[in-house]
Amino acid sequence: MTDLLYWLQGPVPETEPPTAEMPPWGETKVVGKPVPRVDAYERVSGSAVYPLDFALPDMLHAAILRSPHAHARVKAIDTSAAEKMPGVRAILTAFSPGADVPWYRSRGRFYSKLFDERVRHEGDEVAAVAAETRAQAFDALKAIRVEYEEFAFVLDPRESLAPDAPLVHDGGNRYGEPARYERGDLAAGFAAADAVVEATYSTACEIHAPMEVHGSVAKWDGNRLTIWDSTQGVFVVQQMVAGALKLPLANVRVIGHYMGGGFGSKLEAGKYTVIAALLAKTTARPVKLFLTREEVFLNAGNRPANTMKVKIGAKKDGALTAIEFSSIGSGGAYPNGADTSFLATDLYTCPNVAAVDENVAINAGRARAMRAPGFPQGAWALEQAMDELALKLGMDPVALRLANVPKVSQRRGNLPYTSTGLAECLRDGAKAFGWETTRAAKKDDGPIRKGYGVAAGMWGYGGGPPARVVVKLFADGSVNVNAGAADIGTGTKTVMAQTVAEELGVPLEKIRIEHADTGTTQYSGPSGGSKTVPSDMPAARAAAVEVRTKLLAGAAEELKVPAAELKLEGADVVSTKDPAKKLAVTEVPALQRNQVIVGVGTRGPNVEGKVISMFAAHFAEVEVNVRTGEVSVTKLVAAQDSARVMNRLTFECQVQGGLVMGLGLGRTEERVLDRQTGKMVNANWHDYKIPTALDVPVAQEVLSAELVDTECNTAGAKGVGEPATIPTAAAIANAVRDAVGLRVHDSPITPPKLAALLAAAGKKG
Amino acid sequence: MLPSFRYVRPRTVSEAVKALAAEGARAHAGGTDLLGCLRDGVFDAKSVVSLSGLDDLKGISPTKDGGLKIGALTTLAEVARHPGIAKGWPALAQGAAAAASPQLRNQGTLGGNLCQRPRCWYFRGDFDCARKGGEICYAVEGENTYHAIFGGSGCFIVHPSDTASPLVALRATVKVVGPKGARSLPVEKLFVLPAVDHTRETILAPGEVLTEVLLPPPLEGAKGLYRKVRSRGAWDFALGGVALALSVKDGKVASAGVVLSGVAPTPWRVPEVEKLLVGKALDAKLAAEAAELAVKGAEPMSGNDYKVPLVKGAVEEALLALA
Amino acid sequence: MADGKDDRNDLDTNGGVSRRGFLGSVVPAAVGVAVAREALSAPAAAPAVAELPAGEPAKLTLVVNGRTHKVLVEPRDTLLSVLREKLGLTGTKPGCERGECGACTVLIDGVARYSCLTLALEADGKKVTTVEGLMEGEELGPVQKAFVEEDAFQCGYCTPGQVMAAEGLLRENPEPGLDEIRHGMSGNLCRCGAYAHIFKAVDKAARFRKER
Repeated sequence: MTDLLYWLQGPVPETEPPTAEMPPWGETKVVGKPVPRVDAYERVSGSAVYPLDFALPDMLHAAILRSPHAHARVKAIDTSAAEKMPGVRAILTAFSPGADVPWYRSRGRFYSKLFDERVRHEGDEVAAVAAETRAQAFDALKAIRVEYEEFAFVLDPRESLAPDAPLVHDGGNRYGEPARYERGDLAAGFAAADAVVEATYSTACEIHAPMEVHGSVAKWDGNRLTIWDSTQGVFVVQQMVAGALKLPLANVRVIGHYMGGGFGSKLEAGKYTVIAALLAKTTARPVKLFLTREEVFLNAGNRPANTMKVKIGAKKDGALTAIEFSSIGSGGAYPNGADTSFLATDLYTCPNVAAVDENVAINAGRARAMRAPGFPQGAWALEQAMDELALKLGMDPVALRLANVPKVSQRRGNLPYTSTGLAECLRDGAKAFGWETTRAAKKDDGPIRKGYGVAAGMWGYGGGPPARVVVKLFADGSVNVNAGAADIGTGTKTVMAQTVAEELGVPLEKIRIEHADTGTTQYSGPSGGSKTVPSDMPAARAAAVEVRTKLLAGAAEELKVPAAELKLEGADVVSTKDPAKKLAVTEVPALQRNQVIVGVGTRGPNVEGKVISMFAAHFAEVEVNVRTGEVSVTKLVAAQDSARVMNRLTFECQVQGGLVMGLGLGRTEERVLDRQTGKMVNANWHDYKIPTALDVPVAQEVLSAELVDTECNTAGAKGVGEPATIPTAAAIANAVRDAVGLRVHDSPITPPKLAALLAAAGKKG
Repeated sequence: MLPSFRYVRPRTVSEAVKALAAEGARAHAGGTDLLGCLRDGVFDAKSVVSLSGLDDLKGISPTKDGGLKIGALTTLAEVARHPGIAKGWPALAQGAAAAASPQLRNQGTLGGNLCQRPRCWYFRGDFDCARKGGEICYAVEGENTYHAIFGGSGCFIVHPSDTASPLVALRATVKVVGPKGARSLPVEKLFVLPAVDHTRETILAPGEVLTEVLLPPPLEGAKGLYRKVRSRGAWDFALGGVALALSVKDGKVASAGVVLSGVAPTPWRVPEVEKLLVGKALDAKLAAEAAELAVKGAEPMSGNDYKVPLVKGAVEEALLALA
Repeated sequence: MADGKDDRNDLDTNGGVSRRGFLGSVVPAAVGVAVAREALSAPAAAPAVAELPAGEPAKLTLVVNGRTHKVLVEPRDTLLSVLREKLGLTGTKPGCERGECGACTVLIDGVARYSCLTLALEADGKKVTTVEGLMEGEELGPVQKAFVEEDAFQCGYCTPGQVMAAEGLLRENPEPGLDEIRHGMSGNLCRCGAYAHIFKAVDKAARFRKER
């Protein structure tokens, strides 16, 4: 299992289950509706203050000096010239008092320090400067003299375990033992197969590259620290900073109201956060420290490159008999997840499966969880192999997948799902795409060839405790919702307001969300892993229901009828038996007396004996220019099973975003490391190519299976961020195969790669 | 973060020439390339000489002979949307439209596009490469997907401009003003191969300013286009491409300008192809033959042999589009 | 004024961000330190600065959203940094500071450009419009309204740049077709991938602008 902050290992912390009765919603009035975001005004007007917009009186600006080498030892640092530069107020290095903070913890040990004398990748932190202006801080960096002793480096995970490979860490280049998984009898499974396919696939390393760079503003008031951070989870940052600086949690307040994207790269405190705090302490002034765009490429996480070998066997009717999967990837110079085998072991019914994941060290930037970590890579391999299998069996690729839709979770003890829409996704998607008719009409001539591809995917995590939300009903009937979750652009605030509005009948305009502040809001895990809706909305619902219960109890006293007889109808409490008996919400004495009614909602435990998973099937149409190798993705259809859709508008936007990110993996994105120096040659947005408006298809259709799932949680929604991006790249690769008869095993499918393959195969228009 | 520099904004070309002759002076036209280079530390600037005050160098006007004069400070957007250019010199309009992004075309100038520094990631990055005065060209043993298959020696950049190849194909000339006065030269002669000097891309001497581009009058039966192949739909330099400027008379090619882009340290004119086309009717067979000839003699490196079929395909497609 | 309004008399002495109201003890970006404001009589006719030594601050007159500001800038200051750090107009976002993302898009004399690749001194005498300048008082302008209705963003960080690119496109071409919209918006990255909704929003914005 991948090493994720939201994929909890060990005992799951639990908030107590809510006491309120929350039967599944039937027809909803607000939830599910395509309402614009409650914070849209701030985001389009420019009035939203993102962490990078933030400034405090008397604030200093900081910048970090990073290793230009892939692997070296810092022999000496001379900061004397930099100290004399205009505006310079503090310089930190490995040798500064108080800077000896251990960093990068995994499996019970720390792998590095805030400033490590041994730098293990280009971009590792060497020193930091605080100055009056940002320009002065960067000017000073140039004046710091560092003497390095350079070491040999290793960049390719496949070479990391060679006997003569340079050691990234003393004690070896493996991050733990290979993770093995087995069920059934693999040899017997392959022996029983009528057809077997086997191939190796690889995905290039991707960078999250959110629009807002990573960074923090830190301010001390005595021994109390306040941090404004561009983060997916304020409580994670609080914990890591408090741990690093040995402060009580209560003395670290982290605020992250807005943030410009993270995709998993902002699920932790950065070294930059702690460095900002230390510089602020040293100078007794607030310090702002944000990375440059280039630094984000070097040292703010990535989706690791993976090489995956897949072997699948099947009967003539398509029934899978065996799957063998092996993967090697790298968490980078410091440990992080690089496993990819989950899909191969769980997506399809198959009795005989063996998988192994290797995670090794290399001299390149450390990975961070990136949108469905391991899954798009796994889908790239598994779903292309399934496509090959369909060809070999002479089966329709959709039919092959439908023949293997599992009724129970294959990897997780054959437990049933709370709901599974994989078959619906495949069928509905195929229908909307026109799968059969377009494929039948396909022509294989001319210089521009069309192709059609499908791929499926799933995400195996459905959220859970702990989460707590507080809802306050004010005396005038307006509502304040207090929740710790960050809204990373997925619409968390909006669907939370909808959830509360659903239960209290309050218009969205009268609801204000207060969120993502460890000082003032309730605990929530970081927003990642598609878990925010399934974890936090049930808590929000419970809080709203508690408010309603208290409100109805108060009204019952006044109206002298049993509370069970009352319901909330708009701004009134009304008797279900005698409509004449009613009371305006604002006139409920309990509300008037206290001026507020407070409801506290928690997220109860997940259902026992069942598995919560989201599913997806993506369909791609491409046009390939066989003369030049250019690939144009002309249509994408995403069919998703996330059970309830909380807001059709934001759901569609998020799924389209998943498609675009998947298109990046399949078509354009690739970290390039120079083999001579180990340095990244494309640490910028021109040379590292994320899709533009001209790379995405105008035709992007989003379907939802809209299954009723009464067991996944009390909101009935399973989440969508990750599954929306898992199968896209594989669907595109399969479409390219369909168009030109060539299989591109290695992502991304670029004109250079395809032109070379086409030339080698002698294809021509 | 930009380094510190002195800023000068001359009001006349002669003031500009004087300012640019100073040691460490760098010309700022639209600034889009210059500021990127300064930020990346590719080179530094003692002074940045902004040409933005030189209104005489802006705009497009017809010449007496039926050609066109384009001031060097005319933006790429203006060149791309000028109806006269689109009609008479389509390869140039298409080249200008294919460059960079809308905002960069609104800011970047035609002169700047011709004089921009190469996009090679070793040149732009933290590498002491030959073009920056270092010992080696890192592309030779390194990551050379985007590098030259023609004309490299000691340095294997490709010329980044999307307007240079069309201008060479169109036999355009440029006017250059310097400390010794003004001179005109064919655009083709503006560029320098690394074998001559691997530290510069143009023949411009210190103090020299490119002031205008002159397009000769369109020939009878003129046709043209610019075909650019890139990895990404916008904001991307050519993996390979071709500018065509043909004239067709009585069904036969009367004159031909064929210039490749994205394959060599300069716009890469292929005279053999031009010669092959002239006097013949443009058909599928001739297009295929010409495409084959266009890549003859290519010397790919470890990671860019794809450019041979890619460019061949682009040339064939482009010729067929004009047939 | 290029943006069709003239609020030259709408002076404020409180940092120029009165629309935002109270922000507690903090303000977005350092405001007012080196800023003086004066009523605008006419946009500066000719660029004033001819020469400025490295590191030396000089007074620059900037016309932003119809207001004239006098700010101290040094040669290397970009328009982006001056807008944000000296004028407190943090709607304009830095994404890469190298002309490769579009988050910092503003209009200069009505034309969309990257403020990160524009030296502040180069905006001398020109009219600059930022996302704040598209507001009609506290009301959203037509492009902004269309972005809200079509949900044309997720994290919202690239959005001011997208909005300004759309505004620039629509000023040049008030009725763009879908393909023109895609090309017109191709200078702005959206890592959340909201492009399909952005295309719809620009189309809708064209209608809103016409109905105005």
